[in-house]
Amino acid sequence: MNLRLLYLDELKGYYKSKVMIILWMGLPFLSVFFSSFNFETDGVPLSYLVGILIASIGGTLSSVMLSTSITSELNRHVYDLFLIRPIKRYFILIAKFLAVYTCIVIATCISLSLGLFIDYIKGTLTNISIVLHTFESLIFTLAAIAIACSAGILIGISVTNVAASAILSVYLGSQLSIISVLPSLILPNIINPLVLGIVVGSSVSPTLLTIAIHLFNKKQL
Amino acid sequence: MNKSAFPIIQFKKVSKSYKDIKALKDVSFAIHKGEIFGYIGPNGAGKTTSIKILVGLLRNFQGEVLINNIPIEKNRKSLHNFIGYLPQEAGFQEWRTVDHALITFGRLSGLKGNNLENRIHEVLEIVDLQDVRNKKISHLSGGMQQKLLFAQAILNDPKILVLDEPLSGLDATSRYQVKKIIKSFAEKELTIFFSSHILSDIQDFADKIGILNHGKLLDLDTPAQLQEKLNLTNIIQIEYKEKASFLRNLEQHSFIMSIDNHTPTKNVQQIRLDPQADIELSIRTLLQEILNQRIQIRGFTLHKPTLEDVYLKYIEEDDTR
Repeated sequence: MNLRLLYLDELKGYYKSKVMIILWMGLPFLSVFFSSFNFETDGVPLSYLVGILIASIGGTLSSVMLSTSITSELNRHVYDLFLIRPIKRYFILIAKFLAVYTCIVIATCISLSLGLFIDYIKGTLTNISIVLHTFESLIFTLAAIAIACSAGILIGISVTNVAASAILSVYLGSQLSIISVLPSLILPNIINPLVLGIVVGSSVSPTLLTIAIHLFNKKQL
Repeated sequence: MNKSAFPIIQFKKVSKSYKDIKALKDVSFAIHKGEIFGYIGPNGAGKTTSIKILVGLLRNFQGEVLINNIPIEKNRKSLHNFIGYLPQEAGFQEWRTVDHALITFGRLSGLKGNNLENRIHEVLEIVDLQDVRNKKISHLSGGMQQKLLFAQAILNDPKILVLDEPLSGLDATSRYQVKKIIKSFAEKELTIFFSSHILSDIQDFADKIGILNHGKLLDLDTPAQLQEKLNLTNIIQIEYKEKASFLRNLEQHSFIMSIDNHTPTKNVQQIRLDPQADIELSIRTLLQEILNQRIQIRGFTLHKPTLEDVYLKYIEEDDTR
């Protein structure tokens, strides 16, 4: 019950934030931008590349947003007022993760759907494989963003300086976020890249979150 | 106020270390229902650590803390609904409005619907923040933010109110306003745990005072008994018109404990009264002596020892040990 309450509360805070407004508008804009040009991609579907780009930008931004807000809120003892009430400590982190993830998933879905819509209008949406590629791309992107969000939370908990937290997130968040996409590029014919992407995303993200929760529970506030 | 003999808060040999630093060393005390407990000590003495243990923010400690005779670790859920806490330093998320913050904290405390709405209305009225209900917290002044912290502390109608340095960092007007609010709560049947290094503030409220230094509880008693223990008594200072023209034969009065004629200006006499002495009677007797002995004076002042004198003496004695 309190997790739902915290989640909705965080969602309210994040969806109105400046970073999120940029994402709401920026990711769909990128999709439109890439769909408007015919790039030479050496046989790699454009939707893959758009997916990687969105995963990288969205992942980095979500990682930075989560890490800096957690570091700053820990420094300002914001959580003290929550933790003196009957909630579990880890609810705070899970609620933050879910709130940011929800916002970015919506932004990503809008941008990829917009890409498909433009392809449809232009008449380039000629066969079902493009839709499937876009769907694959969406799965990789979501897995990548989940990893970036978890990495952001872990960095936010571990670092005490907001600037250091932001810098680490920019470097580590974006690197980690493409882990889920790499198998599809490196090993395209060995294992089903879609399955591999889902497996990587759904194992790395909870692992990072579990470490972050463990550290948060140990932390002296 | 009707104080109960039943201890509502008990610290039993509580110790807490941060790596190599011992923040609390075997601290034991009991606070009874309806009491206002003043917890004083210099910065870093361990006040906030004790408070964080009490409200459940610090869980890794040695010893035992009981609320209503139940160890806090066995009673966390009801503890949250029982205690209101105003932290020394706590921020709000920047995007929150006053209303939104109180709705969130109220819901997390289990309030809902009309109950929550009515309670928010009540607490905003108590702390006089109705006019800024829809304002962003980041746009409020320091005093208003402190009042909001107070509002969230009383939102769940607690039986124990824990206030960690509630007046620090406030300007004179805000201090007066927050003090007024605390005083109004002190008049109710509420147990208040009040920490401060602003000693005069504690003296205004406290039934009982605990003095903490370097993680050790040096003493715990009523303000009057602490003064008595340290032999800090009332002093009457008489300034004479001429040097060494002091009152004579004062030793015959039983209310006088000692006399100091050796002041640097040599025209001031300090008369230390017995702790049990009737102050009014002592003053009248000394004035009568001045008239009888036909001595001209320039000043006649009664110095009551403050809590600060008591506190400083305790800390000084502890630091020189």
